[in-house]
Formats: sequence, C-alpha cells, structure tokens
Amino acid sequence: MKDSIASALAESSAREFAIYLLGNVPGLPPIAQSIHILAIAVIMASAVMVNLRVLGLAVPSQSPSEMIRRLLPWTFWALPVNLITGGLFVVARPNRYFYNPVAEWKFQMLVPVVLLAVVLYWINAREHGYWEASAGRRTAARVIAVVSLLLWLGIVLAGRWIAYTDYLYFLYE
Amino acid sequence: MPVPFPELWSWLETRPLAEHIGFTWWFPFLESLHVLGVGLVVGSILMVDLRLLGLTALTYPVSRMTKELIPWTWGAFILTVITGFGLFMTRASTYIENPAFQIKLIGLAAAGVNMALFQFRTFRQVPSWDAKAVIPSTARNAGLASLALWILVVFAGRWVGHII
Repeated sequence: MKDSIASALAESSAREFAIYLLGNVPGLPPIAQSIHILAIAVIMASAVMVNLRVLGLAVPSQSPSEMIRRLLPWTFWALPVNLITGGLFVVARPNRYFYNPVAEWKFQMLVPVVLLAVVLYWINAREHGYWEASAGRRTAARVIAVVSLLLWLGIVLAGRWIAYTDYLYFLYE
Repeated sequence: MPVPFPELWSWLETRPLAEHIGFTWWFPFLESLHVLGVGLVVGSILMVDLRLLGLTALTYPVSRMTKELIPWTWGAFILTVITGFGLFMTRASTYIENPAFQIKLIGLAAAGVNMALFQFRTFRQVPSWDAKAVIPSTARNAGLASLALWILVVFAGRWVGHII
C-alpha cells in the first residue's frame, strides 16, 4: 500500500503544486519549517506539560484533570498545523519520506501518541477527574504519560534526523 | 557587515571538537537536541505569555505560573545554549556573518532585556494584580513583546540553515 500511495503522490498534480509553491513563494521552506517548530512548541506546552504534570514533574499547583481539559485541545490544534507544514515537504518529495526509515519511525510513533492523548482527553471529558479518581486510574495515567513522553521525545528527535538519513543510509530517490 | 573578533571565530572552528562535531553524527544529534530545547523554551514561555495576555490559565495567579514554569524555561535554555554553541563552533566565522544568525542573536538579547525589565520592574507590583485575569498593561505588553520576540528567534534560527 505504501508503494502505491508513494507512486500515486509522485505522479500527482499535488506534487507539482507543492514543488511550485516551495520553489516560487519567497522564503516558503524556512517559513513552513519555522511554523512547524512553533507548533511543536505548542505541543510541548500542552501534551508534554500534561504528561509531566501527571508524573508529578511539573506545575505541581495545577490540577491534572483541569490541565487535560484546558491544554490538550491546543495539541489537537497544533497537530493539523504540523500536518500541513510538514505535509508540504512530503507531498513535494514523497519518495524521500516514504522510503526514509527515520520518517517511518516518526509516523509509527506519532499514531500511538496521538491516540493516547485522545484517550486521556476523551475519557476525562466524559467524566471530569476520571484519571485521578482511584489508585489504579492514577497508575494507568502515569503509564500513559511515560509512554507518551518517550514517544514525543522520539518524534522530535526523529523529525530532525530525517534530513540526515541520506547521510546515514545513502538513500536516494 | 564586518564582524568583530574574526580571529576568534576562525580559532573556534579549528578546534578538534568543532571538527569532530562537524564531520560526524554529532552535528545532527546536537541539532535534534537543540530543536527539543527550543520547543520547551518557547512552549514554557508561551504558557506564561498567554497568561500575561489574559488569554489562558486565568484561574492561576501569574506568580505561580512563572514560579513553576521558569525552571523548565531555564533548564531547556541551557540545553539550547550548549547544543547551539556546539553547532555554531563548527562554522563559527560563517555563522557570525549570517544575517539570520545576527537577527537571532539580537532577538535573543531583546527577549532577555524584556524578561529582565519584567522581572525587576513590573513583577515587583505583582501582589496587587497577581490573581486578576486582566493585569496592568505594562505586564501585558511584556507578554506580547516576549511572544513576538521568541517567534522572531525561531524564524531567524530556522532561516540560518537556509542561508549557509
């Protein structure tokens, strides 16, 4: 399936359009990358802070349930911004990203971390305080937080390494 | 623009450490940690700035937000300075002449001045407005200036790599 998506994208007019935009809008590549980094900062200030709070590592005076309700929507808004600003480069050079092992790891980490954030948010939205209501739930929230933090760490590091994969693996389009 | 201390920058980039970083996996490794640090610096500052602007976290006093978030800001900032210096030293004389890098340094200095003015002037009156949602305009302006300057620093920082 990956091969068919990559080749369909590679031959699509969307690819031509992305290449046109990146090549003809002055400063678009660094602008899109800067917005991508700013959206990462928003995720650090929302999903990552929530996870740090659940583990008792940051902002001790704030309530975890209140943070989940107030902050996770910021993550859910930042993600489409990252999808658009990052997707521009993927659409322009699909083979570079689809056959890049580090990009693959990044997306394999991204899917579960977003699902975990949705689970935290959704259950707390149905029952405010759910994750603090019993010892078992607090433990479950802490497990989710540890896994999520490791995944976010991996995603940010992998994101920067995508550009160096050619240098590591000598992969070319 | 002619840069000061040209000998210093060329000395720096010929250090064995600089060459080691520049020619091995250390460069992308430091760069990925740099992005992580930038995310945490800007993210933690964003939380304080949005509170100062009266947009978020209005149920928490300003002083408690700053007290709990500033350690994260400083910790992450130290990470970005160390990793950033490692990246800088690989091509110091080229970076120092790079206009995006120069704008980034000016933006960082301005953000520092803004933060110091807030800390040592505006923040002294904090007891009178700490828990209020809408705080005095000097404090709100500090939040707005901080937000604008850090966005500028991120843009200029990302632009550095497109000019070299």
